[in-house]
Amino acid sequence: MGLGGGAPLLDSQAGGVIRGRVEVPRERAPLARRPSVSSFGAPAGRSLPDRRVSVVYLATAPAGTPPAPAPLKPVTMDQRGETFIPHVLAIRTGTTVNFPNSDHIYHNVFSLSQPARFDLGRYPTGQSKAVRFDRPGGVRVFCEIHSHMSAFILVFDHPYFTLTGPDGTFSLEGIPPGTHDVRAWNEGDLSDPARVVVRPRDAVALDLQVR
Amino acid sequence: MGSSLQGKRRSPSSLEAGGIVGVCALLFCWAGSVSAQTLPDSPIVLADRNLTISGSVAASFGSEDLGFFNYTEYERSVLRTVRLELTAALTAGRHVTVLGALRSDNGERPIPHAFYVRLRPWAERPFDIQVGRVPQTFGSYSRRTYAVDNPLIGYPLGYQYLTSLRADAVPRNADELVGMRGRGWLSSFSVGEPTPMAGVPLVSAFRWDTGVQVHAGGPAIDGTISVTTGTPARPLVRDDNGRPQVAGRLEVRPVFGLVLGASASRGPFVGAAAARAATGGETAGAFTQTAWGVDAEYARGHYLMRLETIVSRWTLPLVGEPRLRLPLTATAVSVEGRYKVAPGVYAAARLDRLGFSHVTGSAGRASWDAPVTRVEVGGGYSLQRNLLLKLAYQHNVRDGGRVRRQSLGAAQLVFWF
Repeated sequence: MGLGGGAPLLDSQAGGVIRGRVEVPRERAPLARRPSVSSFGAPAGRSLPDRRVSVVYLATAPAGTPPAPAPLKPVTMDQRGETFIPHVLAIRTGTTVNFPNSDHIYHNVFSLSQPARFDLGRYPTGQSKAVRFDRPGGVRVFCEIHSHMSAFILVFDHPYFTLTGPDGTFSLEGIPPGTHDVRAWNEGDLSDPARVVVRPRDAVALDLQVR
Repeated sequence: MGSSLQGKRRSPSSLEAGGIVGVCALLFCWAGSVSAQTLPDSPIVLADRNLTISGSVAASFGSEDLGFFNYTEYERSVLRTVRLELTAALTAGRHVTVLGALRSDNGERPIPHAFYVRLRPWAERPFDIQVGRVPQTFGSYSRRTYAVDNPLIGYPLGYQYLTSLRADAVPRNADELVGMRGRGWLSSFSVGEPTPMAGVPLVSAFRWDTGVQVHAGGPAIDGTISVTTGTPARPLVRDDNGRPQVAGRLEVRPVFGLVLGASASRGPFVGAAAARAATGGETAGAFTQTAWGVDAEYARGHYLMRLETIVSRWTLPLVGEPRLRLPLTATAVSVEGRYKVAPGVYAAARLDRLGFSHVTGSAGRASWDAPVTRVEVGGGYSLQRNLLLKLAYQHNVRDGGRVRRQSLGAAQLVFWF
């Protein structure tokens, strides 16, 4: 999993904490490789992404959300074993993501998602290319050569988001006092928004269920 | 931003062929109403992940091909075909996989064009044995004939263009062969099967051969050999001429992005019935197709280049005067390039040349079939990752036949999962 420019960067002393667990009704199977009918032999093995990780975030940025510190620290989405690692990144607008190729084959990272359309072309092992994400939204990332490779980058225009652990637990810290709608995301599916009231230096328990 | 993060899944719509204008209008309407990445994009997985099924639809709508430049052995133009294809892989442990593919063109009865067992004796070693109706060993393009792998709509001439040669009928003499120049889409000879039918391409992109294929390799080099019933021009399910074809292919990857390949094959071409009709004896195995091919692919960044050359030689029975000068040779050269100009948008071009050796008939010396040159340019736009719209323009020139020059336009919509 990966996180860039999220809530832990803020002054957690001033805000509250939302803790809980995201329940995913069923774990999504990773994208299957297309049958290699026209090949002379079986394809090479590949790593499998961890699709249990969810993202928890405030549905809207609270008033007075501070601007992102500049420059934001770049984050990395590696290509290794014909898999994007991590499978999910949550970042703040303005973050640059590096896409190194750690495999001994070509990869070609691209996305046709509206917040970030890009195509990095083919590049070999040991090389890396980068994309800066300036618009909020969900970005699906693919490899043009290996159709079973996919990943998600969720770009937020505020810092109030976090990733769950593989067990679904999360801790969203540094939340400004007030009433907020909180949502969870997993593999393109969302929970219903849950309204919570956060008080200074207080912790709120919240469990979310992705539909 | 919540809704923008939610993945939407819809079923693919079926398309009705209504001509190029109607389809383009439909596509533009569809593109306008469908946001990016909303159709299903992954294969179907069943039986505890042991059965994987993927599919594709390629709907092509093009100008009427009066010169039959784009016709295939299935007697239809590749520019005017709606093809549905299903492929499946069933794994049984780490050593055995059963693979198959069903294809239906223009709503006709599905054809199982691939069906074989892949055995991997050592699970961790790249050594495979494939038995059944297997991919063609010969050539490079023969294993990337799916529409999504073809940057244009037309096919390379060497894999699609129909020469006048047939395996079930042979020309009585050089005059009869020369008389069929430029008429491979409906060829007829007086020895063997009398019904006019399509001739054969140098290598068939549309049929797979039947036999045993052995492959071994690593990151820098791999090789494949096979023993099958047909030949590159005429893959078969059941042998009809008594002896098998032997084919081999070697691929090396000396640097990143560069693949160099060489292929060779030799096998009996003429069917037993035609050979008997020509010679009066059982000598079908003597009338062969021998083919050599070299190919190269280089890709880096946003561009991709491919070059492939095929030389095919056929030996036919000599029946009457003026005699054929054997072997009959055909040479195909294809150069193809693709450049991605923007995310989801690419431009592509292919230059093809197909030439033939000469024979001497009563009217003098002539190539045994009419040489063809084709230039095809086009491009593609990804409406979403697995939904691609292609447009192409192609110009054909042929030194023979009733139609000697023809320009054709086509659109193709490709959806795959």
